[in-house]
Amino acid sequence: MKQFDVLVVDDEAEFRDLTVKILNKRGINARGAESGEQAMEILRHALIDVVLLDVKMPGIDGIETLRQIRIQNPLVEVVLLTGHASVESGIEGMKLGAFDYLMKPIELDPLLEKLSFAYEKKRLHQEKIELAQMKKHMAMPS
Amino acid sequence: MERKKQYYNTITRRLLIAFFCLSILPITSFAWIMKNSVEETNIFKLQELAKSTIEHRAEVISRFLDDKINLLSSLESLFSQEYLFSQANVERIFLAINRTGDIVDLQVIDVAGNQHAYVGPYRTKVEGKNYNDAPWFTETLISGIHVSDVFSGYRNTPHFVVAVTNSLKSYVVRATINSSMFNALLHSAQLGPNGDVFIVNRKGELQTPGLLEKNTLSIEEKQLLSFDNISNSLVTGTDVYTTRWIHNGHWLLVLRANIKDSLGYYLRLRNRIFLIVIGISFVAIAAATYVSFALARNFERSDKEFAALGLQFSQVEKMATVGRLAAGIAHEINNPLQMITNQAGWIGELLPDEDPAQIKNLDEYLHAVEQIKHHVRRAGTITHRLLGFSRKMTAQQESVQVNDLITETTSFVEREASYNNIHIVTRLASDLPTTMTDGPQLQQVLLNLVGNAIDAVGKEGEVTITTWLEPPDKIVVECADTGPGIPSDNLPHLFDPFFTTKDPGKGTGLGLYISYDIVKKLGGSIAAANRKGGGAVFTIVLPVNRFRRQG
Repeated sequence: MKQFDVLVVDDEAEFRDLTVKILNKRGINARGAESGEQAMEILRHALIDVVLLDVKMPGIDGIETLRQIRIQNPLVEVVLLTGHASVESGIEGMKLGAFDYLMKPIELDPLLEKLSFAYEKKRLHQEKIELAQMKKHMAMPS
Repeated sequence: MERKKQYYNTITRRLLIAFFCLSILPITSFAWIMKNSVEETNIFKLQELAKSTIEHRAEVISRFLDDKINLLSSLESLFSQEYLFSQANVERIFLAINRTGDIVDLQVIDVAGNQHAYVGPYRTKVEGKNYNDAPWFTETLISGIHVSDVFSGYRNTPHFVVAVTNSLKSYVVRATINSSMFNALLHSAQLGPNGDVFIVNRKGELQTPGLLEKNTLSIEEKQLLSFDNISNSLVTGTDVYTTRWIHNGHWLLVLRANIKDSLGYYLRLRNRIFLIVIGISFVAIAAATYVSFALARNFERSDKEFAALGLQFSQVEKMATVGRLAAGIAHEINNPLQMITNQAGWIGELLPDEDPAQIKNLDEYLHAVEQIKHHVRRAGTITHRLLGFSRKMTAQQESVQVNDLITETTSFVEREASYNNIHIVTRLASDLPTTMTDGPQLQQVLLNLVGNAIDAVGKEGEVTITTWLEPPDKIVVECADTGPGIPSDNLPHLFDPFFTTKDPGKGTGLGLYISYDIVKKLGGSIAAANRKGGGAVFTIVLPVNRFRRQG
């Protein structure tokens, strides 16, 4: 599996830390953020491929965070995680451009699978952009 | 239930009383008042008529008597004593004055009571008779005039005597008058066929036989004699009496008018009115009874409907509350479940790193981790179903033929059912329209119902699925089985989440809850009942949507 960077955003420390630990063990560069604000801060400086985002959080919630990520880092893929009844919030998140949403409880393997699909999508997308840029450079040599 | 019945009986009774008071009572009292007042008016009029009649008759009779007295008086003033004492002369006079024939005989008697002349049929009997001791003779000499009561005497016909004396009281002229003349005079005064007119004296003896040929006076008639007024009237139950004293208070002229005679027309009218009133009363009673019972029955029915509606409403409300509650609980459980699966996963991650030689039961640990994950998955399935995760209600809307859906669904379970000798019968209406709905979701409901039905039947039986179009736009699907039916205690809880009668571990108790939820979200309704012949029946009612629903 290719190495990629994941940001786990969840207000519940136990879940966040454990998930980060497991992901790291599986060879994924993961780090945690305890709130939407902190996540935005990290995204501004660090290179992140996929964000695992809890929908229900104190402060700015998952949906709002997602909205800001789309503006600030449009290439970053977001996977929503909800323990909440509201399928609607999952659907709303998808409409806002989330890659997918997962319902708690989710086991490790499906989670990993979903995250790598998200990364794959992001990678392909990025490749296309790079290809286009290359074409641009080749068409217009400086 | 008994109290309710009593309540409706009270309503019926009150309505009946109200109708009675409003219809029969007024009619009856009106008829009663009319009857009395008309009767009184009639009696009053009859009395008036009787009074004027008797006045007139009294005058005629008085004049008749005066006539006779005047006749005798004029005889004695026209002729001298010598002339009248001659038999031949008196005979001539008798012939002259008796044109009408009402004078039976004529006598001339001197002061000493010796008869001087007699004309009449009883000459031999009165020949040489002395009247000196006769009370009437003495009275005539004293008061100048005498009129006797009516008597038969030896003449054998009713008659009375008029006698006058001359101014010198030297002789008396006496005439016997046939009293049957009175009858003729009174006859025209009769009012009605049962009316009567007669004359009585002070002693109550009839002076004329009366038109009805009776001989004695009734008690009421005797009572009339005790009145001393010149004229009087008395109303008894059957008759109106009018009286007038005539002939200086010696005789009483009595006129009796029968009320029934004069009221004949009125009485006929009254009877007819009574018949009509009785008829109307019967009709009114019948109508009132019918209306009262019908109204009470309507009350009862609408009350029942209202109660049923209330029950239905509370059921819907309960389901909504339970749904919210279940979702809340599911959510709260999901987070710990997530932690459990994560921790178990972490153990699973770390275990392979350990030295197998150091861990005696490595396989057991790995197995335990797997089991933990398995049970979390199971719990997760339940919470997910509760939360509606497996049924996204942005449901796809497509044109669905419910009949096809049923055919497809039954094909899934037919084989399994046939192992247990359960026959699945479908009676599908050919004119069923398609509807815009969520096919897979609806199929889940149908599968659930048919599955339940097969479980209920167990072995050997029938599951019948019927569809029909309820005009104008409702599709009804009925799933009936020949199982034991649903205990009535369970009916209210049937659609509650986690309510199951199946063995633990076999059913989650969510099937009907989810079916209920799906059908409700599809805009329909689902209900359960027991069949009369045994077994349960589930009925789904779905709207026919011709266009995609918005939102």
